[in-house]
Order: sequence, then C-alpha cells, then structure tokens
Amino acid sequence: MTNPRTDDGDGRTADDRRGDGDERTAPPSSATAATDPLLRIEDLHKSYGAEEVLRGVSLEIDRGDVEVLVGPSGSGKSTLLQCLNCLTEIDSGHIYLGDTEVTASDTDPNEIRQQIGMVFQDINLFAHLTARKNITLGLRKVRGMSAEAARERADAELDRVGLADQADSYPAQLSGGQKQRVGIARALAMDPEVMLFDEPTSALDPELSNEVLTVMDELVDEGMTMVVVTHEMRFARGAASGITFLADGQIVERGPPERLFENPSHERTAQFFENISHDHD
Amino acid sequence: MTEGTDATTATERDPVAGTEPGPTARDRLRGSFDRAGNLLTVLAGLVFWGWLLARWLYDWVLAGSGIGPGAGEAFLSPAPFEALAASLSSAAGSLGPLGIPFGWLASAANAAALGVEIGPALATGAWYTVILTLSSIVLGFCIAVPLAILRVYGGPLRWLALAYTELIRGTPLLAQLFVLYYGLPLSAWLNDLSIVGRGFVPGYAFWIAILGFTINGSAYQAEYIRGALETVDEGQLTAARAIGLSKFEGIRHVVLPQTLRYAIPAWTNELVYLIKYSSLAGFITVPELYYRGSDIASSTLEYTSVFGLLAIVYLGLVLSATNVMGRVERRVAVPGLGGAEGRQQEPTE
Repeated sequence: MTNPRTDDGDGRTADDRRGDGDERTAPPSSATAATDPLLRIEDLHKSYGAEEVLRGVSLEIDRGDVEVLVGPSGSGKSTLLQCLNCLTEIDSGHIYLGDTEVTASDTDPNEIRQQIGMVFQDINLFAHLTARKNITLGLRKVRGMSAEAARERADAELDRVGLADQADSYPAQLSGGQKQRVGIARALAMDPEVMLFDEPTSALDPELSNEVLTVMDELVDEGMTMVVVTHEMRFARGAASGITFLADGQIVERGPPERLFENPSHERTAQFFENISHDHD
Repeated sequence: MTEGTDATTATERDPVAGTEPGPTARDRLRGSFDRAGNLLTVLAGLVFWGWLLARWLYDWVLAGSGIGPGAGEAFLSPAPFEALAASLSSAAGSLGPLGIPFGWLASAANAAALGVEIGPALATGAWYTVILTLSSIVLGFCIAVPLAILRVYGGPLRWLALAYTELIRGTPLLAQLFVLYYGLPLSAWLNDLSIVGRGFVPGYAFWIAILGFTINGSAYQAEYIRGALETVDEGQLTAARAIGLSKFEGIRHVVLPQTLRYAIPAWTNELVYLIKYSSLAGFITVPELYYRGSDIASSTLEYTSVFGLLAIVYLGLVLSATNVMGRVERRVAVPGLGGAEGRQQEPTE
C-alpha cells in the first residue's frame, strides 16, 4: 500500500496547492458574508509533535454536497475531520461553517459540534446507555429538551435507521452494523448542518457494512451535506459529488468521481485507486 | 451430591439432554443450594443487625424510661451458659482423653457466656465503628471523585492531585491521626463548639477520626477511581463532545457512570479495609469496637474469647458491607460493562 514517493509527484502537488491557495485566499477576504460554500477550509496546518499531519489543506463544500475523502493511511483524512469538528486544535488556517468562523477564538466549540454530526470508525456508542438513551442524552443535556420530547425524537431517529425495535438494547447487545446505525441516528438527532463520517464501515464485516451504507445512501437522497472518509469505492462512485484525494497531508487532486476514477490527472491518484481496487477484488 | 454427578454424566452421554429447555437435575440442585445459601445469609443478617439495632435503640431510648435491665446491661442472663460450661468441663474431666471435645465445648459455652456479658459494650463500640466507616467512606468518596478526575483530565493541575495522593498514601494512617489529634489545634476548636460532646453528639476525638479517615480514604479511593477512569475508552468522551457536550458534561454524564460501575469491586475493598482500620480511632480515644474489645480483654484477661467475639462482630460488619455492595453492583449492572455475568455460566453447548 505504501506508495513510493516520487520527487516529481510531490513537487507537482505542492505547486498545485500553492496555486489553489492563492486563488482562494484572495476573494474570500473581501466577501466573507457569501454563504455559498457551507464549509470552507483555508490553508489548514496541523502537527502532532514534529510530524506535520496537515500541510496546508484548502477545501470548499457546498450545501448538499457529498465530499468523499480518500487517501493512504496517515494522509491526514481523519485529522481533517477532527479539525472540522473542533475535536483537535489546529495550528494555523481557518475553517468556516456558513458565516461562522469555527476556528475563531471566540467561537464556542460546543456550539459548532452541535451543528456538525460525527460518526466514528470505532462507533463509540455510550456503553452504559440503551440505544434510545444514547440519542436522548444530547437532546436532553445539550438541547434542553423535555424527557418526553427527547424520547419521541430518539424513537423517530431510530425508526429512520431501521432500529425502532432495538431502542431498549444496550450497545453490547447490538451487532456492529446496528451500533453504527445508532451512532448515525445519535448524530442526526442533533439536527446537524453537516455530517462527518470517519471510516464508518471499516470496523465492520462487509455484510454489516451494507446496512450502514444503505442508511448513508438515504441521507444522500435527503440532501444532507456530508464529508465522508471511506474506502468504500462503491459508495464514493454512487453518492459522492466530489472526491478529494489526500496524501501526506496535502490535497493531491479533487474532482467529480467519474473523472478521478477514470481519468485522474496525477499518477499518485491513479496508483492509489489501482491499489485499492486490487485490495477489494 | 450424587444426584448432581449423575446428572453431569447423563448430560455428557446424551447431548440432547443438555440442550433441553427444562432445568436439569443438576440445575435444580444448584438452585436449591443457592436458595438455601441466600436464606441463611438473610437470616444471619437479620439476627446480627436485629441484635445491633435492638441494642442501640434500647440503650439510648428505652433504657431511660426504666424498661428492662438498664442501659449497657445484657438482655439475656449468662447464667445458663455458665452452668452448661461447668457441666461440660466436669464431663470432660471424668472422661479422660475422650473428654477433650467436651473441653472444647465447655470453652465455647464459656465464650458464649462472656459474649452475653460483653455484648452490650461491643454493640456500642460497633455503633461508633459503623458511623465512623459510613461517614468517612461517603465523605472520602466526595473528595476522591474530583481528585481522580483532576488526576486524569486535569492537565497541569494533575500534579496537585498526584502530590495529595502520594503524601497521604505514603504516610502511616496512625501518624496522620496523631498529627490531627495532637499536632493541630483541632481539638480546641471542636471543644469550643457547644454541641460537640453533648447529648448524642460524640466528643471531638470522634470528629477528628472521621476527618482523618476521610482524608486517608479519599487518597486510596481516588486511585481506585482513577484506575476505573482509565479503563473507560477515550472514544467515549470524544463521542460525548462530538454531540456538543462540554468536556465536564461528557465526564459527568458519560465517563463517570461507566467509571463508577467499574470501580465498585475495588471500592468495596476499600470499604472493607476502612471497617477494620477504623479501629485505629481507638488510639485517639474513640470508644469504637476494637477499643472496647481490647479494654475488656485487658481487664478480664480472656484474650482469646474476647478477640474471637470481636472478630465475629467485625466479620458481621464486613460481610454485610460486601453483601450490600454485591447487590448494588448487580442492581446497576449494564450488559457489556464490567461485571462477572457470562463468565461464570457454563457453555450452553
């Protein structure tokens, strides 16, 4: 899976990125009020110790878009999602959600997290709570809903992911796929503007992945704005409005799925897709 | 016993028998053992606590109105046990070597007679032990939880928690009690409070003992809770924050409820220790259980019997504590979170 680093490939990406950055940083400074892109990321940098995980990432995602992030492991995809949700502090750069600058010092990260739903690779259902209470916790404590209203909402969300009959089950009593569907329902219940998926199916058997992907497809049909890190190329092909290929903390290439799959302009991208198609066939 | 073994071999010979839905002979036998055990536990608990409560109620409320033998006096007379002991030991003397078991029985009867006599004093001591233990464990817990949270999530402040824990755990409890009792002017302050040592309110030594056990226990409890905190997956707090809960709310509503479930067995251990090390309060003159016992032993010189009886009372307190905590653990159990469920069941196939 490790792609040989070619000077050629790296050099090009760096140039492209700088070019992109210049184009983008010029207009927004004059027109911040333009809310066209729902999520705007500008020149994001993030290091863990000496290792720079994100090296200047800029990305715009419109309302209703489904952006699929792909790339070799360690390319910074998950870190990017965590930055979007303020779960990790960034080193430099800007993130905007609509009109709000997520990264501004006076922005309450808890407010932002309510508007951005997150689904985790390792699911992370609250282990001591039933499926229903996993959902009502946020509604009660964050939204301040009444017990009655929260319960109704939770049951509606469980119904939406096809788990109305499991409301009283504890996480340990659910299958991996069911757990992840509860995880999605928990995020959806907070009425997020954007849903982030961090490899939602990679901890699951293929069979169980499908039930999760079905729920995600339904969300796409409902017009939910989504940023999805996944290796499920079938989902990417069918649902993505754009695919972003990241490597070494930088965006190598971005475009509609057909173009990236059939006719990528970078060798590195082509190589990556070839590798994962081998893995999956 | 043979019934049980038969059932086992039958199941092994005929696999179908094992998968039948109805209970096997072995299950029924085990069920009846369990029920008998539970019944015995409940009965023993009722006798022990019934006696303690009756004693406390009598000594402080009823004895004052002139009913019964008077405060601190035994309900029963030790005379029958003494008579029994006398006849047993004379039997032992006349039977020669065969009489040795009778000698033992005579000692037991003597101990029973002594038990009747010193029971009231032990019951009063047990009151202090129970109150010392309960208040210290509860107050200690209230300090231990924030301390453990500070230790795990406190960032730079965690050194404060670490220093407190190591200082308290690293020095002898008795030394801590002496510092509080003799070294600090606490006793003078407490004596100035007009309620301390009047009526039902115990003297200042008692309050200093509670303070000492609270501080000491909080350090140990904090370590148990820290261990449990670290058992909870990091992703739980991340997920809590992802739905918009603050870090504190996430700890409060997601991490702690799991932590405390994990901590119950270790915490029970601390409770059991505290019941016994509350005896150190005797060194600062609190008339708790051990203090009473050793006082009686040194005046009657019946060391073996007195400490044997003392052990029985401590055992009653400890078993009650573990029994209650076992019930609490089962009551709050959640599938998949700690607990022994599933590990002690035999495979179904």
